[in-house]
Amino acid sequence: MARLGKLEQPLRFVRSRRGRLLVLISVVGPGVITGVTDDDATGVTGYALAGSQFGYDLLWVLVVTAICLWPIMEMVARMGVVTGKGLSDLMRERFGVAPTLWAMLLLFIANAATTVAEFTGIAAAAQLLFPFAGDTARYVAVPIAAVLVWVLVLRGNFRIVERVLLVLSLVFVAYAISAFMAHPPWGQVIRQTFIPTFHTNTGFILIFISVVGTTITPWMSFFQQSNVADKGLHPADLTYERADTAIGIFMTQIIAFFIIVACGATIFAHHVTVDPSDPSAFSKIALSLAPLAGKYATLLFALGLMNASLMAASVLPLTTTYAITEAFGLERGIDKSFREAPAFLTIYTTLIVLGAAIAMFPGAPLALITNLPNIVNGLLLPLLLPLLLLLANDRRILGRYANGLFTNVLSGAVFVFLTGVTVVFLASIFFPGLFGG
Amino acid sequence: MIFLSDFLNAEVVDVKQHRVGRVQDLIVLMTDPFPKVTGVILKGTKVRSIDWSLVRSWDNKELSLKVEGSQLQAHQRLEAELWLSRQVLDKQIVDMDGRRVVRVNDLQLSQVDGNLLLVGVDIGARGLMRRVGLEGLGRRVAAILGLDWPHKLISWEAVDPVKSDVSSVKLRIAHTKLAAMHPADIAEIVHELSPDDRSAVFAALDDEKAADTLEEIQETGMQASILERLDVERASDILEAMKPDEAADLLADMPKERAQLLLQKMEEDEAEDVEELLAYREDTAGGLMTTGYVAVLHTLTAAQAIDRLRELEPDAESVYYVYVTDEEEHLLGVLSLRDLIVAKPDTRIRDFMIEKVMSVPVDASIRDVGAVIAKYNLLAVPVVDQHNRIQGIVTVDDVMDRVLPPRVAARRRRIF
Repeated sequence: MARLGKLEQPLRFVRSRRGRLLVLISVVGPGVITGVTDDDATGVTGYALAGSQFGYDLLWVLVVTAICLWPIMEMVARMGVVTGKGLSDLMRERFGVAPTLWAMLLLFIANAATTVAEFTGIAAAAQLLFPFAGDTARYVAVPIAAVLVWVLVLRGNFRIVERVLLVLSLVFVAYAISAFMAHPPWGQVIRQTFIPTFHTNTGFILIFISVVGTTITPWMSFFQQSNVADKGLHPADLTYERADTAIGIFMTQIIAFFIIVACGATIFAHHVTVDPSDPSAFSKIALSLAPLAGKYATLLFALGLMNASLMAASVLPLTTTYAITEAFGLERGIDKSFREAPAFLTIYTTLIVLGAAIAMFPGAPLALITNLPNIVNGLLLPLLLPLLLLLANDRRILGRYANGLFTNVLSGAVFVFLTGVTVVFLASIFFPGLFGG
Repeated sequence: MIFLSDFLNAEVVDVKQHRVGRVQDLIVLMTDPFPKVTGVILKGTKVRSIDWSLVRSWDNKELSLKVEGSQLQAHQRLEAELWLSRQVLDKQIVDMDGRRVVRVNDLQLSQVDGNLLLVGVDIGARGLMRRVGLEGLGRRVAAILGLDWPHKLISWEAVDPVKSDVSSVKLRIAHTKLAAMHPADIAEIVHELSPDDRSAVFAALDDEKAADTLEEIQETGMQASILERLDVERASDILEAMKPDEAADLLADMPKERAQLLLQKMEEDEAEDVEELLAYREDTAGGLMTTGYVAVLHTLTAAQAIDRLRELEPDAESVYYVYVTDEEEHLLGVLSLRDLIVAKPDTRIRDFMIEKVMSVPVDASIRDVGAVIAKYNLLAVPVVDQHNRIQGIVTVDDVMDRVLPPRVAARRRRIF
């Protein structure tokens, strides 16, 4: 024990995990995971419909939504780093029971709808993979997926499941390759990415809203903040977390970009009409991968859709359940038994069972169901954003890390934009003649 | 029963029944065992807060004052005061009996000897329903169904509020109740708190307890983040009280500059032990070992060795093996505690020590260390450098944590 000599040794840090942690965060941090998960079944469907029906006309929306995403995701990431708390936790502490109750109710509805869409994505993928099995494919695949998600997340290791699905998301690269092989008019593509085009017909407006809605969703804020908080970062690491957030947004949008271009250069260019309420919509969308995969296009598309759906199907119910139980101080945790955490397991199981059951409904218009939550999410955002802004401006919560002028002005603009989109959407529903049908 | 929610937003009328404003919050003075309501925060009035002594009565969402609205005097704020709605309601608190973190749905007050005291915390669904004005409905539904709808209340004596408000830093919550718990229990609770609250809890523990609790928290990332939020002096004191291997693990998870600073502030002896450990790769015997072993000189007698042991014992992690070295710390042999005790007091230890001692080099892999420990059924194995000088020991529990699959080793699985 008594050490002889050995004084004045130079301090050598052979061990330093810290540096590695920060590097890791900027490669596969919470922002990147959230970003990739954002391209879920509803995302793939929304972007694909946009590209198939309107070619490159909606590409500019991606730039707009990226700008919208930045203040939102940056605020929740910052709150996660500084407070180490989840978003619903902060809402409850700041706004009390009643507003939180409403927020959670809306979140539950939106996320339940989105979960249905994810299982529908699984159903659609199964039918594309096993076309000979007809409807039987989804009656088999959906319950299996539901049980799989339930078991893997609660009794397996969620973080490993998440990493595996994240790696499998590389299948999205197929859209980029396919887009290049279809030789789209790149000049026009670039131009339309930065110069807005707008049509005043209901079809365009619906797709426009669903692209906005699938990209900017309430659940992402909750998922991102909890994920960031869990990393236990110090406010001094905020720069890394901001980089992670920016990369995450870029990933979401670049995947969306190539899906739209691939669909635009194939389906739209060949004047194939894709009607979301038509059961064959997905097999038409799959043609967007034909330049790369030829007759295996359907297979590739189905795998991508399956992976995206599984990833979101394991994230969404869990995020929702954590948000709600956290807000109301209910016992929670994936390692708890039913007796220990009845509410946690009930909400989680309900979401999965509900999602799977609706997705199995006979004759359900799959592409329509996967697109519906985009609209719900798009409508909810103008309600969530003011709450986020109040929290992120509160110096009692964030101290000197509260919002600066830039973020507030940008968020204000985003709020005006999202509210505008909602108003336009509602107008198009209540006054169908307004935009010439 | 009286609850805080009965007061919030209640109409305030003065002695002439004129409407003055509404109640925004109640102020309590942190008296033992139950805090006493001392003031009311108002909204819609010029005077923001008034003394509780000005309140004549309250009933049915109406608070009557003893004076006229124009004569209201401002309440003198004290350091040890808490705003119930802003600082306690909806926040998390530690339920000491249940050893868990719960959320405050409502606060129960009670009138005792003319004082209104904060006596309990409502953590149940009933409190939630009351907050949204649906308690009556819930009660009727329960009655129709023939069910009992109990309140879920915890006594204020059995809770420990965690501060989570930047503005309330001045108010040092003592955390005395929490500090009395077992380190493993504190660690369990600390897991569920936010980083600031965690550091607040640690600020209230003494160095030894803080060190033990920190060791119980097995996620090094969380350990580091707790220390990072404490001031340097305090953090280095806690590090000194920790086992050197745990302290080294923890420092490895901090930004280098911060770790350097902490090491400089530590006592030289302890800092030296930790620094040595930091120089090894974490997946080797060197990275896993601790310097908390017992070594004695081969020239000592059994009695002298036992004396030496008494001197060293408080620091040592494992005393079952006593290693025997020469003056340059070359490992010569090993004794079990039993050997030492049964030997005649004046026998030289080199005459009865076991000379064939199993050891591992500092760069041995963890798997190899585990294999040696398992094969020879050891509680600990010494780690030596290339000149056979003892550098530390790896204990069986440290190796178990690393060799077993993480799911078994982790005490709890959490996602967020």
